[in-house]
Amino acid sequence: MKREHHHLYPQTDPSTSASAAAGKSKMWDEDGCGGGGDDELLAVLGYKVRSSDMAEVAQKLEQLEEVMFSAQEDGLSHLASETVHYNPSDLSSWLESMLSEFNPLPPPPGGFGGGPLSVPVAAAPPRPQPVGDPFLPRAESSSITTVDFGADQRMQSSCGRSSQMNEPRPEIGSSGIVFDEESSSDYDLKAIPGKAVFGRAQAQAQAQTRTRLASTSSSSTSSSAVTAKRFKSSPSDAAVGAAPESSRPVVLVDSQENGVRLVHALMACADAVQQDNLSIAEALVKQIGFLAISQAGAMRKVATFFAEALARRIYRVYPQNPPLDHSLTDALQMHFYETCPYLKFAHFTANQAILEAFEGKSRVHVIDFSMNQGLQWPALMQALALRPGGPPTFRLTGIGPPAPDNSDRLQEVGWKLAQLAETIHVEFEYRGFVANSLADLDASILELRPSDAEAVAVNSVFELHKLLARPGAIEKVLGVVRQVRPAIVTVVEQEANHNGPVFVDRFNESLHYYSTLFDSLEGCASTQDKAMSEVYLGKQICNVVACEGADRVERHETLAQWRVRLGGAGFVPAHLGSNAFKQASMLLALFAGGDGYRVEENGGCLTLGWHTRPLIATSAWRLGGPSAGAAH
Amino acid sequence: MAGSDEVNVNESKSVVPLNTYVLISNFKLAYNLLRRPDGTFNRELDDFLDRKVPANAIPVNGVFSFDHVDRTTGLLNRVYLAAPENEARWGIIDLEKPLSTTEVVPVIIFFHGGSFTHSTASTAIYDTLCRRFVNICKVAVVSVNYRRSPEYRYPCAYDDGWAALKWVKSRPWLQSGKDSKVYVYLAGDSSGGNIVHHVAVQAADAGVEVLGNILLHALFGGQKRTESEMRLDGKYFVRVPDRDWYWRAFLPEGEDRDHPACNPFGPRGRSLEGLKFPKSLVVVAGLDLLQDWQLAYAEGLAKYGHEVKLLHLKEATIGFYFLPNNDHFYRLMEEINEFVHSNC
Repeated sequence: MKREHHHLYPQTDPSTSASAAAGKSKMWDEDGCGGGGDDELLAVLGYKVRSSDMAEVAQKLEQLEEVMFSAQEDGLSHLASETVHYNPSDLSSWLESMLSEFNPLPPPPGGFGGGPLSVPVAAAPPRPQPVGDPFLPRAESSSITTVDFGADQRMQSSCGRSSQMNEPRPEIGSSGIVFDEESSSDYDLKAIPGKAVFGRAQAQAQAQTRTRLASTSSSSTSSSAVTAKRFKSSPSDAAVGAAPESSRPVVLVDSQENGVRLVHALMACADAVQQDNLSIAEALVKQIGFLAISQAGAMRKVATFFAEALARRIYRVYPQNPPLDHSLTDALQMHFYETCPYLKFAHFTANQAILEAFEGKSRVHVIDFSMNQGLQWPALMQALALRPGGPPTFRLTGIGPPAPDNSDRLQEVGWKLAQLAETIHVEFEYRGFVANSLADLDASILELRPSDAEAVAVNSVFELHKLLARPGAIEKVLGVVRQVRPAIVTVVEQEANHNGPVFVDRFNESLHYYSTLFDSLEGCASTQDKAMSEVYLGKQICNVVACEGADRVERHETLAQWRVRLGGAGFVPAHLGSNAFKQASMLLALFAGGDGYRVEENGGCLTLGWHTRPLIATSAWRLGGPSAGAAH
Repeated sequence: MAGSDEVNVNESKSVVPLNTYVLISNFKLAYNLLRRPDGTFNRELDDFLDRKVPANAIPVNGVFSFDHVDRTTGLLNRVYLAAPENEARWGIIDLEKPLSTTEVVPVIIFFHGGSFTHSTASTAIYDTLCRRFVNICKVAVVSVNYRRSPEYRYPCAYDDGWAALKWVKSRPWLQSGKDSKVYVYLAGDSSGGNIVHHVAVQAADAGVEVLGNILLHALFGGQKRTESEMRLDGKYFVRVPDRDWYWRAFLPEGEDRDHPACNPFGPRGRSLEGLKFPKSLVVVAGLDLLQDWQLAYAEGLAKYGHEVKLLHLKEATIGFYFLPNNDHFYRLMEEINEFVHSNC
């Protein structure tokens, strides 16, 4: 049929974006690749369906249509607003989960693979939480009261057991998903009207919600674009890590000819540095300086940071690592936290996954690899406090680097959280561990308790990539995480490959990444916050470009690469669902910084980005069982 | 009821490859979930379900892409170009040279479908299609991320189309040929086809040159029910009531389907007589319930003295061009190839 047309068309399907390393050439096959693999034509369009499953998937579609038709409006609205959806790329599982809502049957023997957290235990849609928190005093103005946060007797109060709001019992759906939509929580995002028409009514309602939420939170986050599932890494040893991908999402904002010229000059300079043509590089760096001045806004700043980093490389004046002044780093991070939604999104989405995993557990333990100022935990603690049936006892283990002035930052943070815990009546226990590197940790240090007594979450926000600077470190840490036997592992990382073996590639990738990131900051109102955030990011740029070896810790890798690493270490995906997506999107919409932020769903993970470029990705994981390899 | 649905299901299944059937049925199902009877739309779930891909400045199979955002309006266009021959230039976006100084490289401004409501320029089915256009038809493509209903009704999508046209026309790096100009064609499927028409009219009124329109089973309609709508209702993935919903979401509130946006040659339509309107390639899928409207559109153009090529693919369903697994896909590409290169 189509063979007669072949003379017009190239052998390879131009739409596929398999990495250059894989370089597959697709056959024009009516049904895709046929046989046991995924249908390649659908894969390119974002749908993972095994060719051998195609007929079955078609059947499920038909069944679902029939069932939806008979169920009429109630059924449809139920599926649309009550049901939590997971990983729409996996058509078979997605359809199956919807079918099971109508036909309560046990799940198929294969299970849901890397399916939703709620299988088979009922999980309430997580309550939306305020992501910023008025309870946590700002770092500069803390007043620490002495609290014995180890003694839990005083903490416990009768309030812990009773819900503060009159809530109907959550209804258990047939598939075990708990529908809790009748909740009348202050944080109930359903109160935001569903009217799709953005008129005055919507704006008013948003303003009302803004006011209501403002009393407890002032933050919002933005979303990120989906990285195509078709970015396949070539199969590789997990110990070595995933192969770098050949992908560069570029978003030009108001394409100015000078901006592009500046980018070219920077890339040429990096090239010269790589070739060791230092005199050319030096000349280019100076030229870049002039070009940068004529630029406005984000491009000028980004160019300046990259030029400085290149200069350091050229003149061999390498930055010190780790940074000397922690209070400066803390302050910078706090400004970054306030200025733009990335950290808030990271915390919010990770907390969603943790909450779901902690459902029904009476003792929970969070091990935080990224303790810093503990900004993530007030929101989680509040959500736990508001749980129907009362909060669990909450143990937090915070891990952080040593402070050169021997101050006990970790303990200070713990004290503040203990204070909060007392006011919201959550039994709280805290332990801080100082470690130069996460790889210095052993499971024995963490004082684990039997996993039937305590559910553990391991949380890492922008920390894992640092381990890639030393051979064996990531493997060791993932091994320790396995030993902890966590109910959930939450990982947030930059969505970029800044760890390729070739300097010029790293340079170019990071140039585009940080350009987009800086662009997103431009909408920020406060110039001081913005400036501090830029310095915060500037340090990362310097590290990516000017450092090498163990000093180069900003070794960002993409979601696809982390999937390979974590999969190889025996973890299976725990998908984030449409509830988390919706809440993150809505909080983002409240964020005053700009309309460009986007939350996107990527194979069970959520990304946040600026316009179409994903910038950070949140993923959640649990321990794979004996059939871990079979999970998607 | 269930019985007749079963018949319908088997009919569409027998005319398309299985993976096409799965793809389009999946859209149908998802879209059913998203439209609410009261006319509102579950935008968050739509965003969640939509499979998107970012642009990629590094060429894959001969095509690379990048996004451009106008900061003041937020309008995003995704640009697709053929990879530079020199591999050393891969990943570097060069905005300083035209596409060619010797040959004409047509630039297709593409408006994705989705009944004005679904999809974006990043949506994988459309990103893929645009890449195929570049590779197979040897063109540049600019895909417009126009504002969608019901949040943004008529005329927002048309305004965005017009803005995109002006932007494209004014890019030196989209110029080609010995006379250094931007050779523009407008193309779109479903609602995108409708946008093509209206932007072309606006362009003609303003004296902005568009060399041709390509309408892929464009969305047109009217108050009356045509024979094809009645005959094919519910048979090949599409139902008439669903079409009505999308018009209610797009047209100004209180308007009916004879509004000229929906029915450009209807009772409230406008004569295009004497207007310097581009030639049109009107592609009609024979199993699309809207074909009578599209055929009438083609006739209308001819009646006003404008050049029309009708490509009536009698056995094609909607969305036949999403997968290159059928004859119609190849036929379409051949026709587009000829259409955009015949001027040179």
